[in-house]
Amino acid sequence: MPSSMKLLRYLRDVAVFAPCYIALDWASYIDPVGPFNITPWNPQPALAIVWMMLGGLIHFPAVLATILLADVVVRHTPGGYVITATTALVLAGGYATIAWALKTLLSDTGLRSTRQVTIFAAVVVAGTSAVGAAFVGVLSAAGLLAGTPFNNAWMRFWIGDAVGILVTAPLLFAATDPARGSALLSLLRRPEALLQAIVLGVVVWLIFKGFGSDPSRQFYLLFLPLIWIAVRFGMNGAILATAIVQMGVVLGVHSDVGASLPVVELQALLVALTLTGLFLGVMVDERQRAEKGLRQTLRLAAAGEMAGAIAHEVNQPLTAVMNYGRSAQKLLERDPAGPSQEKEIIGKILSEAERASEIVRRLRDFFRAGTTRLEEVQADELLSAARRMGESAIEGKGISFEVQKPASLPTLFVDRLQIEVILRNLIANAVESVAGADRRNGRIAVSVLRHGDKHVRIVVTDNGPGVSAADREGLFEPFVSGKSTGMGLGLAVSRAIAEAHGGSLEVARVTHGEFHLVLPCVQSA
Amino acid sequence: MTVFVIDDDAAVRDSIALMLGLEGYRTAVFADAEAFLAAWRGDWAGCVVADVRLPGRSGVELQSTLRNRAISLPFVIITAHGDVATARAAFRSQAVDFLEKPFDNVHLCAAIETAFALEERRIQREDGRRSDLEKLGRLTAREREVLEHAARGLHAKEIAAALGISPRTVEVHKTRIMDKLGVRNVAELVRFAIAATPSNGK
Repeated sequence: MPSSMKLLRYLRDVAVFAPCYIALDWASYIDPVGPFNITPWNPQPALAIVWMMLGGLIHFPAVLATILLADVVVRHTPGGYVITATTALVLAGGYATIAWALKTLLSDTGLRSTRQVTIFAAVVVAGTSAVGAAFVGVLSAAGLLAGTPFNNAWMRFWIGDAVGILVTAPLLFAATDPARGSALLSLLRRPEALLQAIVLGVVVWLIFKGFGSDPSRQFYLLFLPLIWIAVRFGMNGAILATAIVQMGVVLGVHSDVGASLPVVELQALLVALTLTGLFLGVMVDERQRAEKGLRQTLRLAAAGEMAGAIAHEVNQPLTAVMNYGRSAQKLLERDPAGPSQEKEIIGKILSEAERASEIVRRLRDFFRAGTTRLEEVQADELLSAARRMGESAIEGKGISFEVQKPASLPTLFVDRLQIEVILRNLIANAVESVAGADRRNGRIAVSVLRHGDKHVRIVVTDNGPGVSAADREGLFEPFVSGKSTGMGLGLAVSRAIAEAHGGSLEVARVTHGEFHLVLPCVQSA
Repeated sequence: MTVFVIDDDAAVRDSIALMLGLEGYRTAVFADAEAFLAAWRGDWAGCVVADVRLPGRSGVELQSTLRNRAISLPFVIITAHGDVATARAAFRSQAVDFLEKPFDNVHLCAAIETAFALEERRIQREDGRRSDLEKLGRLTAREREVLEHAARGLHAKEIAAALGISPRTVEVHKTRIMDKLGVRNVAELVRFAIAATPSNGK
């Protein structure tokens, strides 16, 4: 990438980050200690931390400058420029450290395991405690916090930052994680989720307006809808629910200007609520994942049983075919001057029967022990096989079939027969899809391209209707079939084979048929 | 010698019979173990080519049934279910070979040849024993008495004393016996007596 592009991208990121940060700082500047940013709600550090986690510590200068600018814009440098610069350095340094620790300790930002959530919560709580101590320490050393005990200010800062990050960072993680993001959006369309949001809103209203002056005394009521939401929708629900509660608390506090609400206590309760929601949500997710995995395993075990039974049944006629074929060969051999064409044809029948039995055997072996016989296979050979399959599949159907490939391709390290099973599957599906769409200009293409250094991507495309978003969900599960006559094993077995190779098989999110098969190459020493 | 093909799949047993017939083997086909047992005759010789999985008695069970009846017909086990359990069962049953369907005819023929060689040796052994019994049958009652004593290692004088005849007569009997049995000396005579009448040896 040219450096000017890099710079442009960097400037664009800064142009998004800085205004958002300052806006959040301004919106959350409530109930402060003196004129300083010691408030019980600080969501903006989450923005800085997530940015530095995803983009790297290269963003540190921009973060520092933004924090400085925010203090100038929002609070008009209450402690003078030296103090503002010092505190900005403390904050930016602290957030960078938290970002670095999270990035190092978390393998990704998915918050998909209890371990990840534990690390996230621990780093945030410990980190904000340290940042708060340093920040308040600087101010109190400068004698700017007269009248406010150090502990009070520190607690307020700590709770504000902790709750801000715990609530906001998961939302930001979700926004940058395509899978989680789309899950959150689809959650918003669920009627039950809507009902839950309404209940949550009503409870927030009740604890602020319904039960008298002290909302913190009825705060525990929020745990009930939160548990409902987390149990039903896992982490996604918990993230959204805590965000809604936070917004409710902020609105409640804002609507009661003048009334001395115990904002710090409320936010402390919100920390407890958020941690409960995150842990409950991730546990629900984990359990669901385990259940799904178990179901898949059981289904594949059933498929294995079936493969064994089918292998047995298919081997019987194959045995007969091969014996008859050899008998015919023997009869023809008795007459050396006899017809040679027949001999040749019977030879072909025999070799095809052998191939069929080999496929059956390998499929059965695959289910039995998961044995995949990897060997070096030229991509060209696989493509010629694909071409043969395609051409015989489209015969007389008025569909065009083409194979596209770059001039040179690396050697693959795969089980040829198993990959041929996958290709045959994908091509047959494509033909069926195009033919079913009743299209005159049906077109199927198999293309191959490099996928990084270690993999090759084979793309099978057709201009049929493709797989609908609803069908994509269970597409690769065994015994889920979109065809009236299908057993629903083809794609399940194909994906299992691809994954056993260390590759993958995915359906593209497009409006035509498109499958991506990624396979490993031979590693050059 | 005959190849007895036992498989419940009609096409499989027909095709095996056809193939083996063209290879020059005599074959007989059965749909299951019970049909084979019902048809069994004591003078059958050759080998059995049986599927592991049959309705009723399995191929391996048929083999042990035959062994219990002291029928040592060699077995070639075939299966369309090449899993470890059936392979182990076939191995334990001491089948000549274990072939996975679809098999190569060369392997099947080789297995059948091995089985036939085993059967050949068994027949030779049995023929030898039969002719021995026949020869023994030619002896007179007295001669058989002399042979029995001689087999126990008694000398002519001792035999004479035991039977109340003269040692000279014993010698005459011995010469006759050796003549009839076709043995050259007393050592061979003793060996023959023990081999032909194993129950006497105990």
